This record gives sequence, C-alpha cells and structure tokens, in this order.
Amino acid sequence: MEIESETNEDNSKRIQVRFVTKLKAPYKVPNTAIAIPSHFHRLGLSSIVNKLLQAVNSEWKTEPFDFLIDGELVRMPLEEFLLAKGISAEKTLEIEYIRAVAPRKEAKPSPHDDWVSSVDGSSPSFILTGCYDGLGRVWKQAGWCTHILEGHSGAVSSVRIINSEGAGSATVVTASKDRTLRLWKFDAEDSSDHPAKIRAFKILRGHNASVHSVAAKTSGDMICSGSWDCTINLWRTSDSDIDGDTVPIKKRKVNNKVEEPQSEGEAVSALVGHTQCVSCVVWPQHETIYSASWDHSVRKWDVETGKDLSDIFCGKVLNCIDIGGEGSTLIAGGGSDPILRIWDPRKPGTSSPVFQFSSHGSWISACKWHNWSSVHLLSSSYDGKVMLWDLRTAFPLAIVDSHKDKVLCADWWKGDCVVSGGVDAQLRISSDISIQ
Amino acid sequence: MTPSLTMGHQESQNLDNINPLETRDEDFVERGENDALNDNNDQDEHSERSQSQQAIDESDSSEDEVAPRNTIGDVPLEWYKDEKHIGYDFAGRKITKKERRDKLDSFLASADDSKSWHKIYDEYNDEEVELTKEEIKHIRRLLKGKAPHAEFDPYAPYVDWFKWDDAKHPLSNAPEPKRRFIPSKWESKKVVEYVRAIRKGLIKFDQPKEEPRFYSLWGDDSSSADITKHLAYIPPPKPKLPGHEESYNPSLEYIPTQEEINSYQLMYEEDRPKFIPKRFTSFRSIPAYENAVKDSFERCLDLYLCPRVRKKRINIDPESLKPKLPNKKDLRPYPFACYLEYKGHQSAVLSISVEPSGQWIASGSKDGTVRIWEVESGRCLRVWEIGEAVQHVAWNPLPARPILAVSAGADVLILNTGFGNEEEQKEIKNLLHIGTPTSDDSDDMSSYLSWLQDEQHDCIRLRHYRTVSSVVWHRKGDYLSTLMPADILLAVLIHQLSKRLTQRLPFKLHGLPVSLAFHPTRSIFFVATKKNVRVYDMLKQKLIKKLETQLREVSSIAVHPAGDNVIVGSKEGKLRWFDMDLSSKPYQNLDCHRKDITNVAFHRSYPLFASCSDDDTAYVFHGMVYADLNENPRIVPLEILRGHTSSDGRGVLDCTFHPRQPWLFTAGADSTIKLYCH
Repeated sequence: MEIESETNEDNSKRIQVRFVTKLKAPYKVPNTAIAIPSHFHRLGLSSIVNKLLQAVNSEWKTEPFDFLIDGELVRMPLEEFLLAKGISAEKTLEIEYIRAVAPRKEAKPSPHDDWVSSVDGSSPSFILTGCYDGLGRVWKQAGWCTHILEGHSGAVSSVRIINSEGAGSATVVTASKDRTLRLWKFDAEDSSDHPAKIRAFKILRGHNASVHSVAAKTSGDMICSGSWDCTINLWRTSDSDIDGDTVPIKKRKVNNKVEEPQSEGEAVSALVGHTQCVSCVVWPQHETIYSASWDHSVRKWDVETGKDLSDIFCGKVLNCIDIGGEGSTLIAGGGSDPILRIWDPRKPGTSSPVFQFSSHGSWISACKWHNWSSVHLLSSSYDGKVMLWDLRTAFPLAIVDSHKDKVLCADWWKGDCVVSGGVDAQLRISSDISIQ
Repeated sequence: MTPSLTMGHQESQNLDNINPLETRDEDFVERGENDALNDNNDQDEHSERSQSQQAIDESDSSEDEVAPRNTIGDVPLEWYKDEKHIGYDFAGRKITKKERRDKLDSFLASADDSKSWHKIYDEYNDEEVELTKEEIKHIRRLLKGKAPHAEFDPYAPYVDWFKWDDAKHPLSNAPEPKRRFIPSKWESKKVVEYVRAIRKGLIKFDQPKEEPRFYSLWGDDSSSADITKHLAYIPPPKPKLPGHEESYNPSLEYIPTQEEINSYQLMYEEDRPKFIPKRFTSFRSIPAYENAVKDSFERCLDLYLCPRVRKKRINIDPESLKPKLPNKKDLRPYPFACYLEYKGHQSAVLSISVEPSGQWIASGSKDGTVRIWEVESGRCLRVWEIGEAVQHVAWNPLPARPILAVSAGADVLILNTGFGNEEEQKEIKNLLHIGTPTSDDSDDMSSYLSWLQDEQHDCIRLRHYRTVSSVVWHRKGDYLSTLMPADILLAVLIHQLSKRLTQRLPFKLHGLPVSLAFHPTRSIFFVATKKNVRVYDMLKQKLIKKLETQLREVSSIAVHPAGDNVIVGSKEGKLRWFDMDLSSKPYQNLDCHRKDITNVAFHRSYPLFASCSDDDTAYVFHGMVYADLNENPRIVPLEILRGHTSSDGRGVLDCTFHPRQPWLFTAGADSTIKLYCH
C-alpha cells in the first residue's frame, strides 16, 4: 500500500515552471506558471510549448524548441538536471526557450566529379567549393553551379573567398596540391544555366610542397597559405604588381581564342617555425595569423614582424582551427582524434582546452564558429557526420549525417545553413537553422 | 593514661599482648646497645629511652589493675544511642552521657586550644582524652608499621640456649677409620693412566675449532642435507581412510549393479576398482577379508620400496616475480586507435612504405598494382599496373627524390612518383633515363641482371633472373639492395642507381637470406638468414658480428635508428631484441604472437617498435634505448592493435611507422591498409 502511494506520488511529482523567451511575437506564450511532470525531457517541454502556442494561434505548426535553465541547455530529464545543478524544485522555475538549432531542410545534393575537399560559405550570394579533380566551383544555390574555376593540375585542397562585395565581381583564391595558389575573379551576379569556365588571373608559386590551406586578410589585399613544406607564405592579391617586378605576361592561344593574361606572383614573406605540415591557417584580425600544424601546435603570428607570438601544444595532429566565440578569441581545433577542443588563449600559462567535445567517432576535418553567435560552432568528421555545437552543453545540438562517407569540409552559409562536402562527392546544404 | 584509651578496645588488648615480649627484650637491648638497629628514628629516640621505660613500667604495672570504668562489655555503642547513659560502672550505676557541645562551639574551642590536635574523643567512656607525647610517638611508629616501643629490636641475634660442649653421649662412638687418612690407591692409578694417555697423545684437550678455509659461495644454503648432515625423516603417506562404500551395510547407491560389475571385467586391471561394496545384514554374516594379508604386504612394499622425496615448495607471490612495468599512460604517445583506412586494393596488400615527409604512403598488392595514398584523407592518388604481384615497395629515403622501388616477380622497378617540384622532377627524369643498355659490365653480372628502360611506366626495370622478395634503400638514396631468396650465390645484390652498377655481396652466406637492412648511420649491412643475423662492415668488407637468434626461421629484421639495437621477428611468432653492444645473444625475448611474424618496424624518432603477424594483430611496444651505455634498453608492451581480418590464413602482412607521428600503418591480407593513431 505504502509503495503504491509512493509511486503515485513519484509519478505526479510536478514542478512549477514559467516559459519565457526572447523570441518575437508568434513564438510568445502566455507568461503564466504551469505545473509539469518533473521527468520531462526536452521533447516533452517542446511539446508543451507547442501546445501553448497552438492554444493562442490555432494555425500553429509544430516547431522544435530548445530550453535553457540558468544559461544551460537541458539535455536530460528536468528532475536530474535540477539535481545536478543544485536548483531548488520548490520555486517557480523560469525556463527560457529558443528555437532548436537544427537543420529543418535538406537541400538536394550538388554533385561533383570527385571528392569535395573544401568549401567556403562566407559570401551570402554563392558557395565556393574545391574538388579533388582540380576544379573550383561556384554554386548559386543547391545544384546550380554558375562558375567552374579551371587551371590547377592537382587536387584543390583549400578555397577562400577574398571579397565578394565589390560591384558584382568576386575574388577568390584556391590552393592546390600542385604547389600553387590561384586567384580568380568572376561576376557573382552573372548567372546562366551552363557553368562558365574561368581561368585564374594570377598564379602564386613558391611553395615546395602541396599547399594545404589558405586564408585571406579581412581587407582582402593579402592572403596567407600553409603548406606541407612547413612554411606559411604571405601573398599580395592585387592584380598588378606595385613593386614593379612584373612577371612576363603569357598570352595563350587556345581554341583560336586569346585567353586573358595570367600573371604570376611571388610570396611577399614566409613565416617559418612549424616543423611539420601547416594544416590550417586563419587570418581573423588585421595583424595576426593563427596556424595549426601536424607538429601538434597552434601558433599565433605577428604579420608585421613575422614573429611567433604564442604557442598552444595539443599533443595531437591538428587538421583545422577556427577563431571565434566570445570576443572572437576562442580557438576551436580538431585533429587526429575524435575530440573537438576549444582553447582560451587569454588564460595564461595553460594550454589545456577549456572545452572538449567528444561525440565524433573519427578525425575531425573541419570546425567553424558561427558568424555572429558566440556559442555556436560546427564540426565535421571522417565518421561522416557534421555536428552543431553549443558551448552551453556537452552534447551536440544536431547531427547532420546525410553524407555517406568521410566529410572533408564544412562551413556556415548565410548564417542559417550548413554546407558540407566529402568523399561522396556531394555538396550538401542543410538549411533553416535558427540561431539568434 | 592507658594506651587502651587512645585506640579501640581490641587494639589496646593487642598492644597488651605485645608488651610482655617487649619487657623481655628490654634487658637484651640494654645489654647490647651497640647491636641495636641503626635506624635513624631509633637513634633520635635514644635519649628519651629511660623516660619511656619508666612509663612503660608504670603502664605495665597499672595495666592489669586499672579496670574499665564502663562495664557494658563488648557491645556496640549504637545500642545505647537513644539512651541517656552509655553503660554502667562497677557499682552498676548508669554512666550518664555528657552534654554535647554543638559543632560550632567545639570547633571554636578546638581552634582556640593549641593542644586540640592531640585530643581524642573516647566514645566508650564518653570523654575527651589528651594524648601524651609518648602515646603520639607510639601511634606514629604504628603508622609506620614498626613495633610501638622504640626499644623493641626485631632483629636481635639468636641466642642458643643449649650448651653443646663436652656432650657425654655422641651419636657414634666408633673411632675414625684409617682409610680416611690414606690417599686412595685407585685414584693414583687412574691419574697415572691419564698422564700416560696425555703423554701418548691419546687424550686431546679442547682445541679451538678450525674454520674451513674454503666454502661454497654459491651453494644452496637452504638444502636441508647440508645443515642436518643426516637424512631427514619423511613420514610415509597415510593410507586412505575407509569411506561409506566400505561399510558392512552401505547405502544402496554404493552397491554396483550386475551390469557394472560385468563391465569391470572389460576394464584394464589397473583401472578396475579394488573393492566392490557389498551389503551384509548383520555383523555375524561378514566374512573374513580375503585380501588382508595381501594388502598389508603391499603396504609394506610401498613403504620401503617407494622413494620418498620431500617436495621443495617456494612460497613466493607470483605477482612479485613480474617485472615492474611503468604505467602505460606515461609512455604516451603511441598508436592505439584506428581512424583511417585506405581501401582500393583488390587483393592482399603485401607491402607498404611511407614517404619520408609522411604525406604519402605507397602500397604494393597481390593484385599487381602499386598505389599511392594521401595519408591525411585516405585518397588513392595514383595506381600503377605492374602485372605481377608486388612483393615489396620502398620509398627512397631522400625527401628530394620521390621515387619508389618496387619488386614484382623477378623485376625491380624504380618508379617516378611525380611529386616534387620541377627541378627535382628534372633530376629524377635524368636519373631514371637509360640511354643505351649498358651491357659492357666487365663481370659476368649481365647474364644474371640487366638494367632496362621501361617505356610503359617511364622507369628503370632491373631484371633479375629469380624472384626478388625485397628491396631496401641505403640511407643516402643512391644504393639499393635486392634479395633473391631462391639463390644462394647471388642472393643479395647491391645496385647503385646513379652509376647503374650492380655488385654482389662479397661474403659467403651460410643459409638462405631472408631479410636485409642497412645501418641507419654507418656503412654497415645486416643480412638475416633463417637462423642468424650477420652484420657486415661494407667499408672494411668483413663480417663484424653474428647474432644468434635461436629461432627456427627468421622472417624480418629492423634496425633501431641509433643503430645498436636490432629486432628480429620469426615465423614461429617470436620476437628477439638484440643489443649489439651487449652480446650476440638476444637481450629480450618477446613471444607474443600466435602465428608468423610478418614484419617488424622501429619508429624513427619515438621510442616505439611494432610487430605484425598472421594472427591479425599488430603489437606496439615501447623500446627506449638510452644514450648511457650502462643502462639497458627498456622494453614495455603497450598495445595490441586488432581490426584486420584474416584471409587465406594470412593476417597483417606489413607494418610501418609514420616517420614523424607516432602512428602505425598496417597492411592486411584483407586488402586494406589501416592507420592507427595516438
């Protein structure tokens, strides 16, 4: 008898909660306290909010929500969460809800001829991809390729959009395993059904081994590249060489057509210090470059002096880093193990990561911070998954596992889409991710 | 003033009993004053002795006369508690109680009266008694545990009252016998006997025991025979005690059925049970045991014919015998997890080789292809169709010379991978181009070997006349050595790429060579034959060392990057570590694989080595070699890498470390290459 009554009590254990939100009008629920069973998960809470919204607006479509209690995402039964955080269940609990950060739409894959090695979605008007067949491609939207960048003799390993704002014309750079980088210009507005083939306007030679990564300065006049020859080279992007050491312009006659002139450029300077392949470079601020290398270090370089400012040693081979987060100071990095690490270089004297996310099953191939949110980032891995992360919880917010094989690259696009490419030769766009 | 007043009635009587004794002692004390005890107290009291004597005399005399005033007898005074009297005097009149002063008054009175401390209330007579000095002394002595009278000597000398002089009647009146005065003849005889014996040296006196000059230093101290010098008694084993089945009336389940008894007949005599249980209804019906004599005879035989040996049992915790190994965590990094696979081969991958910078890996397979893979992504970059099963691939150790030596069948191909910048490519093209076949070799090599230009792959083809099993590059990238195990005379050839010269090993090999290795820093060459490893100095052209592997069949060899340590893997799954400075015998034996070891490998910079085997596993070991020559290498097994599946009874066929990362590549018969990361 007693046991029964106890279990009954247990089942009916309820918590007074009040749902609040920063979302705009259609997502607002009446600001009244309600009692809900304490064993509810996120899904239960989400259905309650949806019910409440439906009560207000009868044409409401169900929408997944995520819930924050004291700035932390709820990823377990409410009861356990409160116990773990030491929050009293006696008072009325304020739960903030946000729209769940998860892709709601999956666009048609955009097929490539070979593995998609890199992708850049920093321009809202197009996506740039690099492919193992040596071509760069510009995609207007899913399945609509507008330009093909032709010229590399080896696989394209990295692509970067230098600027896309200038009156219809966009400048991009591609790095390749044929030891060169190429600069390209095209009209982003120009759209035709058949992809236009474009030749590079400038070829940058100087690396002794395959170029692994490239990054552009925010102002767009310089780029840097990391390579297997352990150096980081800095290059100018300007069309005409100001220094005067003009390289003889080659005029080629192909198919009875005079091709555009192609100039060649040389490295302005090289940053030497890494002892192994420089696998990733990031140029987030005007004067500093961050680089990650297979020698297990993340280094911060001063561009003016070419000096190495600080090192973080990770113990594992690093494949990718990105700078972002709060005040764009946090370094996210992934490498030859399934752990996505986040370092805070402001913490002196330690090189241990402040966050470690270990839901992946294999090497991490790319990680990117969200443009404006300081807590969201994505990572892609060789286990074929792209995961969206929030610093406020240790579990992935969403997992995109539409790829059939290794994912080699991933990026945000337009702030609410995730673009990713991989060994299955598809560029996949998962869109409609709501991030405040 | 009687002492009986000062204390209880009984005590006073006790004192009375002592007194007569004391009086008797007194004259003795007086007589021998100097013999008196030298007790300090006694000395102090000595002056007062005469006085006290008088007092005692007085008391003695008065003792019997002075009768108690109160005649109630030995009756508790409590009985008179509520009465007005406390007893009766001689006349039978009541002795009335005195009027009691209250406590305050008595206290004040006692405080005023300086003599109050030697006043005592006598309950029996109901009066206050003032103690005299003598009495206080008596009390003090009693408290000390002495006789109350100072004159009493408890240790007085004993006085023998009996006079013994000229007793008229002794016990025996016989005169002293003569023999009491004559020295013994027998004794003198005995003495003479001893003296003679001593002179003859028959009797030896105790000499200092001589220590044995030599003793067995390494002898077994614990052996009982040495210590006891006699056979230790070993108790005979006890005969088996009878069980339930030997009872005269055992339970039914002990009784064998007729079938069982019949089946006993089919058994061997040794296996047959000695005793078949039977039931008897009573003691009377039990027959005599027919084997009684036989059994006891056999027991006797056992007892004196069977040697009894005391088993030596050492009581050691087996855990303590294990060597102390460092924690695996402290030995990080080492490969343990497989994250990348390189898939594409159609058949078993026989050999892999990593480019010196670690960006590419080449693999040769049974399906007749050589493939180059990108390490970081698992992308197959290039495929060559060789046509024959590729036995061995080896990447040139120079980073500026990205060429690949491939052995397939009887050919060795030197392939241009196409990496490297333009200048390097130009150089390589020159190197790999043979204008006219240089057949003007003076020696008779040309019939066995020819340098050819291969048009299909644009490379050099070294045509041997027998199957080549392995190709090894010298560290400078110009020499390469090939191994033809089928031939004894020309088994090992050394080719120079730049001059296109071939020479054979100028030594006679004993046994079939199995594997080759160049010394990583010096001009030393290792040839592993099936039983031994021979180490040659190529400059001096002589044999330096022969390592005895003690293995049945060596399969592979690897040299530590410092050059002084060699590991050898064998076909019976055993791994031997040789420290060449130490001895030509193995320093450490690692028998961990269940099947053939196919290859062994050292890491170039990390203290790691690995072995892979046909049992589908690869083992990773920590192998630290110290610069200090006094310190032996430290070998710790770290990890068993599983993941490959066997195919045709073969497992992992090759393993090699990444040159810069603590990663291990393994090539399996399941046609995949796996990368194990730290």
